Amino acid sequence: MIDTSIILQAVIDGAGVGLIYGLVGIGYCVIYNATGIVNFAQGVFVMLGGMLTYTLLTSLGLPMIVAVAIAIPLVGVVGVVIEWFIVKPMLVRNSPMFAIILATLAVQIMIERITIMTAGDQPRTFHEFTAGGPLRLGPVAVGYQLIWVLVCSVGLVLLLTLFFKYTRIGNAVRACAQNRDAAALLGIPVARMLAVSFALSAALGAIAGILITPSQYTAFNVGVPFGVSGFIAAIVGGFGSASGAFVGGIVLGVAQAVAIIIFGAGYKTVAALAVLLLVLLLFPSGLLGKRSEK
Amino acid sequence: MTETTPMTEKTPSAAPLLEIRGLSATYGQVRVLKPTNLSLFEGELVTVLGPNGAGKTTLVRAIMRLVKAQGEVRFKGEDVGRLATHDLAKRGIVLVLEGRGLFGSMTVQENINLGAYTATRVELQERRARIFELFPRLKERLHQQSASLSGGEQQMLAIGRALMADPKLLLLDEPSLGLAPRVAAEILRALGQLNKAGLGILLVEQKAPLALKLARRAYVLTLGRVVKELEAGEIGSHHDIAQYYFS
Ligand SMILES: Nc1ncnc2c1ncn2[C@@H]1O[C@H](COP(=O)(O)OP(=O)(O)OP(=O)(O)O)[C@@H](O)[C@H]1O
Ligand SMILES: [Mg+2]
Repeated sequence: MIDTSIILQAVIDGAGVGLIYGLVGIGYCVIYNATGIVNFAQGVFVMLGGMLTYTLLTSLGLPMIVAVAIAIPLVGVVGVVIEWFIVKPMLVRNSPMFAIILATLAVQIMIERITIMTAGDQPRTFHEFTAGGPLRLGPVAVGYQLIWVLVCSVGLVLLLTLFFKYTRIGNAVRACAQNRDAAALLGIPVARMLAVSFALSAALGAIAGILITPSQYTAFNVGVPFGVSGFIAAIVGGFGSASGAFVGGIVLGVAQAVAIIIFGAGYKTVAALAVLLLVLLLFPSGLLGKRSEK
Repeated sequence: MTETTPMTEKTPSAAPLLEIRGLSATYGQVRVLKPTNLSLFEGELVTVLGPNGAGKTTLVRAIMRLVKAQGEVRFKGEDVGRLATHDLAKRGIVLVLEGRGLFGSMTVQENINLGAYTATRVELQERRARIFELFPRLKERLHQQSASLSGGEQQMLAIGRALMADPKLLLLDEPSLGLAPRVAAEILRALGQLNKAGLGILLVEQKAPLALKLARRAYVLTLGRVVKELEAGEIGSHHDIAQYYFS
């Protein structure tokens, strides 16, 4: 029998990773809700966030806060560039959705290759935001970085909710999602709103990548696993629902961590996909997704 | 009856508010809108009539650049044919889409506020007060999801939201579509009121009798082509116009 405190510890650590999946999942939702596009380059933002921060820390010797403050907007710009030069021209030409999705996948692979050529293929990591720890709560240990992850992700979800509900631009992005023609007819520059959604989503991915790197590592190829896990989180939660992606991420992270303890590390992916299949069978539109009308 | 009549008489001075020359549009290979001329003067309410599939929607969408179009569109004498849809809106041309185009999962209030996307906070308050005067029912339903409004209320919201953008010229694509006659009449009465206050209106309608009660001039569109222009004086004698263009 496995000690309950070990399980409990796995749940805590799994939830921490799950929060990261949740952030990546929300990144998918932000773009999907504004444009109807599934952006398969989402994982690349996670990778870039970690790699850029690492580079700024080591080659320029910048303090963490400065490195982060530069890396996040920089990745946001990458998002805008993808929207501007690839997604928008394809939307204007009425390209079929699968072609746009394929194009984002191509971008992901290109950026990965460019990263190998410029930054090498070695895994990188940097120190936790706050030294010391972990915090002891009875039988379990909570690392300081996990607290950072928790505070940042909850804060981000809150901020995003406020942004979409109460700001002029946030509402305009939502309007574009519902009816692009009607939005343009009210003077809303639709193309710019789509760019906003890509910038936001890229920044979210970057933050996720920066938060997770100290407890794991980053490398040119971490984009795919995080992208896939985030995608599963978004689907489990109900694609398009930000709070759903958040919950989906936690469910996924916990399921993986517990599966590793009980069945061994090899079963991590099996657990993830089992969660996905189970949810899809029991809740066809995800845990918090809206039932589709059709 | 001549096919076209010159429209120089009885119109207020200066250039038309909206002037369209040779505007045409194609979907794929099909030229759905043949080169079309149309003008609307300051303070006028002009109606575009025509049966299903005549190209009425295509015409207004071409004006707003929601479909690719060739030809000239002048607003207050200025060529606006190269502007994007949202810039046309900023200039003061706003279209109420066929089927209303509401942001269905958003509340009445959110829809209204989005109408004033380009406005300042003060302007927003002033305009809100004005549309609540016109459609008091919107004020009672501010926090209701717009998709759950009745058809008539939805149309009021669509028009109210368009007015929030403070248009100089309002285009409406079949605002009476799917409404009970009494409700349709109520909507059109409100449009008449707006026009009396000086707003230029281009009203696309299938319900000719309703539209002709309000309109100063009318264009009849069939198969993508203007087949008839009616001047103010002629409208009265054309209440049987439906028979004319449906036959
Ligand atoms: N997106 C499209 N692709 C291809 N053909 C189209 C498209 N939209 C409209 N059409 C065709 O263009 C023609 C004109 O359509 P339009 O919608 O402008 O007519 P309408 O006068 O507004 O009709 P209604 O009164 O039914 O709204 C029709 O034959 C229609 O089938
Ligand atoms: Mg139509």
